[in-house]
Amino acid sequence: MLKLENITMRFGGVVAVNNFSMHIENNEIVGLIGPNGAGKTTAFNMVTGVYTPTEGKIIYTPEGKDIDITGMKPEHIADLGICRTFQNIRLFKSMSVLDNVKIAGNLRMKSGWLENVVRSPRYNHERQIIDEKAAKLLEEVGLSEQASDQSTSLPYGKQRRLEIARALATDPKLLLLDEPAAGMNPQETQELMDFIRQIRDRYHLTIFLIEHHMDVVMGICERIYVLDHGNLIANGVPAEIQSNKAVIEAYLGVDNA
Amino acid sequence: MSFKLLKTNKQQVGKHLIGIAIFALLLIVVNFIPFDDYYRKIMNLSFIYVTLGLSLNLINGYTGLFSLGHYGFMAIGAYVVAVLTMSSESKEAIFMIVPCYDWLKNIQMHYLPALLLAGLVSALLGFLISLPVLRLNDDYLAIASMGFAEIILVLIRTQFRITNGALGLKGIPRIDSFWLYGGMALLMIIFMVLLTTSRRGAALEAIREDEIAASAVGINAFSHKVVSFTIGSFWAGVGGGLMATLIGTVNPMQFTFQLTFNILLIVVLGGMGHIWGTVVSAILVTSAMEIMRFLDEPMHFLFIHSDGLPGLRMVVLSALLMIYVIIRATNKKRKNKPALSKKKMEADHA
Repeated sequence: MLKLENITMRFGGVVAVNNFSMHIENNEIVGLIGPNGAGKTTAFNMVTGVYTPTEGKIIYTPEGKDIDITGMKPEHIADLGICRTFQNIRLFKSMSVLDNVKIAGNLRMKSGWLENVVRSPRYNHERQIIDEKAAKLLEEVGLSEQASDQSTSLPYGKQRRLEIARALATDPKLLLLDEPAAGMNPQETQELMDFIRQIRDRYHLTIFLIEHHMDVVMGICERIYVLDHGNLIANGVPAEIQSNKAVIEAYLGVDNA
Repeated sequence: MSFKLLKTNKQQVGKHLIGIAIFALLLIVVNFIPFDDYYRKIMNLSFIYVTLGLSLNLINGYTGLFSLGHYGFMAIGAYVVAVLTMSSESKEAIFMIVPCYDWLKNIQMHYLPALLLAGLVSALLGFLISLPVLRLNDDYLAIASMGFAEIILVLIRTQFRITNGALGLKGIPRIDSFWLYGGMALLMIIFMVLLTTSRRGAALEAIREDEIAASAVGINAFSHKVVSFTIGSFWAGVGGGLMATLIGTVNPMQFTFQLTFNILLIVVLGGMGHIWGTVVSAILVTSAMEIMRFLDEPMHFLFIHSDGLPGLRMVVLSALLMIYVIIRATNKKRKNKPALSKKKMEADHA
């Protein structure tokens, strides 16, 4: 589904991600963990086109055909079926919950500006599809009741769900979640894990997530990659990672005394 | 759910329909009242500012592009209309220093196609300028757009054979009709309602709110901004053209940064990203500027005696604006407070 080949990202003299390779298979849930500043979000930003890697290649294989997406524009990558959420939630603040999801429907809309203004039959048809799809998605993530509320008036956990619903509205094949459980209480976290599995199965998604909550990572990820200071220090199934010495050292520090 | 969704959509469009109906009614009523020339001119000017205010609101308010180049596009529109509607005799009489181009001298058309052309020329220019300028953001964009507006004015001042340079153009056929100015304002309002309630129009607001999130869900922010800027330039050109037919003369001195500032004032007072706020504030601000002219003249009122203080109306207007802005800001704060505590309660509850 996705393959990173020796990608490196340098900001001036700082190497945020160093010679990092990984792969994700169809329908997998893969986690990316590491201490703060390890380069996890930078890796996400390269996959979604926010940054162009200094070196290396990103290959995306949605339907058996390799596409080199290195350095493509974010909107183009979204069009190919990769969508994401953000660590510091990025909702369209002044808009309602429903409108936030509807915006993502624009991606699959074919009618142009003029058709939008004069309300051509094709536009009306597409608009109806977008409206229905957005309403359905809100129902599935459990936000129907708040559909007309302003998006920022939602409690934190629901804002995260809304961001996921918005990403789902672009019909993604690969969904990237940047710390989906950040700031959630244990109950919300549990709900989130069930929710992630549910959407994976319902929409046949491949999921790639960054997370700090070890419960979430160990609970739902099938494979895990660990970054520290931009370098890959371990990868494997959760049990392997939990007992990996390098990972424990990266997280807890090394006792040199 | 789908019922609720339908309802919210309908409410939106319904609200606008009522506004459009009221505006159209106002237009018809005003047309039957025999105002004198002075008031007619103020009203027509207000209508032009409705068009201009909405066009700037599309760029600054809806799309969040801090552009200050509006006066350049207005100038282009005004000159296009002037040159295209003047008769060849008056062109011959006015181009005293350097004669007008021959091909241009014999062109004379009705003001409606001329206005359309004014919009198109302005839109084309807006499109070309937007390609480099919209790569910038915020204050950089403001400065660059102003720079391009100044370049437009330098071109106007130096193209003697088209614009008659600093002397300007006189003898533009004047049109005194509520239908034209009010009708154009109404057309602009309807256009803005249709645009901003459409899916692509909503995308403009998404870009304003969060460009990174917008491109992450597949919106090409740059091309949307270019379209918005081009449409805004089109209507700025039309508005400038309307000014030419209202006043009957154009010269480069008319188009200064002050013009953009006036329109920006209308947009900010009416509320960025609100159609009807802009409409009302365009009419109020334009009327207030004219009506308060008496303040500049000598006054003898009870114990107040003045020999006329030119500029006093601007002082009063500024004071009124400040009072208004302060009241609005405090109201907003008051409104936000319960919303915040409600949010907190919900968060605690969850």
